[in-house]
Amino acid sequence: MNYAASPVLALRLPLWRSRLLLVLVAGGFLVLAGRAVYLQGLNNDFLQQKGESRYSRVLEISATRGKITDRHGEALAISTPVKSVWAIPEEVQFSGQQRAKLAALLEMPPREIDKRLNDATAFVYLKRQIAPEVAERVSALHIPGLFQNQEYRRYYPGGEVMAQMLGFTGADDIGQDGIELAFQSTLAGKSGSRRVIKDRMGHIVEDTESIREAQNGSNLTLALDAKLQNLAFSQLKLVVDSNKAKAGAVVVLDAKSGEVLALANLPSYNPNNRSRLSGAQLRNRVITDTFEPGSTLKPFTISVAIEEGKVRPDSMIATAGGTFSIGHATIHDAHRFGDMTVAQVIQRSSNVGAAKIALGLKPEDMWTMFDKVGFGTTPRLGFPGAASGRLRPYKSWRPIEQATMAYGHGISVSLLQLARAYTIFADDGELMPLSLLRVDAPLVGRQVISAATAHKMRDMLELAVQPGGTAPQARVVGYRVAGKTGTAHKEENGGYAKNKYVASFVGLAPASNPRLVIAVMIDEPSAGQYYGGTVAAPVFSAVMGGALRMLGVPPDAPLEPLELPPAGAQIKEGV
Amino acid sequence: MLNFIKAERNSSAEFDEVLAWIALILMVLGMVMVYSASIATAEASRFTGKQPTYFLVRQALFLATGLIAALMAFQVPMRTWQSLSPWLFGCGILALVLVLIPHVGREVNGARRWLSLGVANLQPSEFMKLAAVFYAADYTARKFALMHSFKKGLLPMLTVMLLVGWLLLREPDFGAFVVIASIAMAILFLGGMNGKWFAGLVALSLVGFLALILSSPYRMQRIFGFMDPWSDPYGRGYQLSHALIAFGRGEWLGVGLGASVEKLFYLPEAHTDFLLAVIAEELGLVGVVTVVALFAWLVLRAFAIGRQAAAAERYYAALVAQGIAVWLGVQTLINMGVNMGLLPTKGLTLPLMSFGGSGILANCVALAVLLRIDYENRALMRGQPA
Repeated sequence: MNYAASPVLALRLPLWRSRLLLVLVAGGFLVLAGRAVYLQGLNNDFLQQKGESRYSRVLEISATRGKITDRHGEALAISTPVKSVWAIPEEVQFSGQQRAKLAALLEMPPREIDKRLNDATAFVYLKRQIAPEVAERVSALHIPGLFQNQEYRRYYPGGEVMAQMLGFTGADDIGQDGIELAFQSTLAGKSGSRRVIKDRMGHIVEDTESIREAQNGSNLTLALDAKLQNLAFSQLKLVVDSNKAKAGAVVVLDAKSGEVLALANLPSYNPNNRSRLSGAQLRNRVITDTFEPGSTLKPFTISVAIEEGKVRPDSMIATAGGTFSIGHATIHDAHRFGDMTVAQVIQRSSNVGAAKIALGLKPEDMWTMFDKVGFGTTPRLGFPGAASGRLRPYKSWRPIEQATMAYGHGISVSLLQLARAYTIFADDGELMPLSLLRVDAPLVGRQVISAATAHKMRDMLELAVQPGGTAPQARVVGYRVAGKTGTAHKEENGGYAKNKYVASFVGLAPASNPRLVIAVMIDEPSAGQYYGGTVAAPVFSAVMGGALRMLGVPPDAPLEPLELPPAGAQIKEGV
Repeated sequence: MLNFIKAERNSSAEFDEVLAWIALILMVLGMVMVYSASIATAEASRFTGKQPTYFLVRQALFLATGLIAALMAFQVPMRTWQSLSPWLFGCGILALVLVLIPHVGREVNGARRWLSLGVANLQPSEFMKLAAVFYAADYTARKFALMHSFKKGLLPMLTVMLLVGWLLLREPDFGAFVVIASIAMAILFLGGMNGKWFAGLVALSLVGFLALILSSPYRMQRIFGFMDPWSDPYGRGYQLSHALIAFGRGEWLGVGLGASVEKLFYLPEAHTDFLLAVIAEELGLVGVVTVVALFAWLVLRAFAIGRQAAAAERYYAALVAQGIAVWLGVQTLINMGVNMGLLPTKGLTLPLMSFGGSGILANCVALAVLLRIDYENRALMRGQPA
């Protein structure tokens, strides 16, 4: 009988087949377990590395830029946290009411929001750099698809008052001008980084490690005194406006330390809103512009003559007639006084006197003096664009050039160089180094002239601001002031412009123990007055007076009202 | 005759409590993992109404429905199931036809696999797996004597199964096709089909599979993605490479429940086909091996229950139990193999665990039938009539 055909035997299920299937399935499960051990226990490094390349990202953590403060710690430039609002347009969903509220908060027309959302699908900035409290109200609207970024924005509380001094930073937080550029490496921090895991939508879900801590930038303490700066700026503005001048500049130095206590320029700009800027507004005239200083240079010529023993303050100089011809050129004085003493040459600012004294000197000695006080050399400030001015080598000087250089023509200096040079009169012959940063340890100057000469010069410079001098308007109630006016034709197209002047005044006070040196320059005063004594000296007087009182400097003169000479009797200087 | 019956369970127990517990543990763990895997995508999607618990709530409802259905199915004697078998199979075929009719069947991502029932969508292919088990077992039990005949034994079954296979491939649902073909072949094999015919059929099937794979770019694509996912990790290999990364990240103990990164929009189908990858990442090798062991135990028990029924000469019940074992075993193996990069992506869910109402419901009823067979085995051994 056929085994297979037997219904009885066939009715038994073949047990081995069941066992075979069972072994196959169980074997399959064992293979799976083995595979899991391989993937999770043995090969996981490779897989984790693949995973990291998918969703592990290194994030930049921006460092905060250092703060700039004045010498007393008042903030002049600070980085404020701001938010930028961005959107994933595909995910944005809002009601009409939400849209209107958003538009109001961002100060944008609703249509502009729609336009931005329609122009992109994955990412679009709605508004950058909004105030944190506005950003908070935006997030309170709970609009899906709307996100915010933390950013920093540089803010200058002083506005236009010290704009050219501080400069500004660009959108990427890098200094572009002024102190911000000069001290970029100090102010800028080092951004840090950390590794994070992001989901596919870009949200950070896990902070895995910090690779480098962000190092915030260092704070910078300037030598600047914010109150003094405000005073200098406002006084300069008054005078520039009333004289319809093209520009103006003032710098206040601490005579003892060479610190720049105030430095103001006009025209200026608001560094917090820099749209539509012109080059004129950006220029830091005190440091980067040079001009022919005119008579403010006479004291240096006289100093050389005194140092060399050629003259004494009471030596008589033949200035009668008020003109002096060298070859084809003639030098003029503004007034005819007859012969004058050396002191009177300073007091009345006689060009003829200065020229005659200069011609008794060796060109080399004059050049050495100018060079020693820093003319023709870029001051070591690190300030971008600091000017060196022009001081030609003495070997090429012709006599007429030596004569005119004696009263500040044929040479150019910056206002800062001029102010610094005057520290030799203020500091008993020592030239102080300049500093934009606050100086805590006393600095040592360099002796340029003897203390005795410096005292004599100071006495003569005091005469210049007395009635009978060129700048009685420079006087300050309660303090003895010494200073010198300058008035020069502007250089234009290689010659001198007939009706364009630069009026200046450099002075120091209190004369008995000078504390401050202030230099003022007014460019193209065009309201009638153009002499340093009438245009620049009043700025000096106001700033010096205010500053000395602010600093609590004890008066060295009786506190009595000052009388000005009657109009028309004012001594004008030679131009 | 009864010498290989092993009374493994305490004979005082009325049903296999351990089996029930294992199934319950897998279902609850599955629900927790479905929630974990879907929470981020559910919260971000407009389709779910941005509710993070969207899938959790639904899976809980599916499980509750499944348990109620299981309790009801458990009450049905195997005799009744056998008499219903052809009818259930017929209904299954009808549903598979309906799915293909435009406007009746619902199309998602290019596949027509669902019937809309208003409150829920029904996936007939899931129920067809159970109906195939019933029908193949009934057929084999009825035609025991003819199993060695090609014409009378194999051909009718083959014809019917080819029809079902054709319907499934029209959807297309290649995964369900493989599972149902496996069930039918296994039951025929267990039922004593002629070994030569069977070997020929297996060879023919393999050739058929290859032809199917090579004939469709869609299936080709799925095949080659699994061979080397790193050659095109952002294209064909995208899904698998992320599944493998999830395994690698999980290491031995996992990154912790809820801490998966892959589920954060990287790994597609994390709460359905690729649930095991999320388990691997969050619960580590320990979690994966536990799940593998629980499924292995479940399949072994199903085979044992089948053999017990066979020993008691309850052939229909024996074939149903082993058919269910093959179903759950094959589907689990394929799903896990796909997750681990051993097999091409199929679109098969992990039984009892993955998100999906039809799948959970069909699995629950299948387990209830398995427990019923065991219950009747025990009753028989105690001398009570089934």
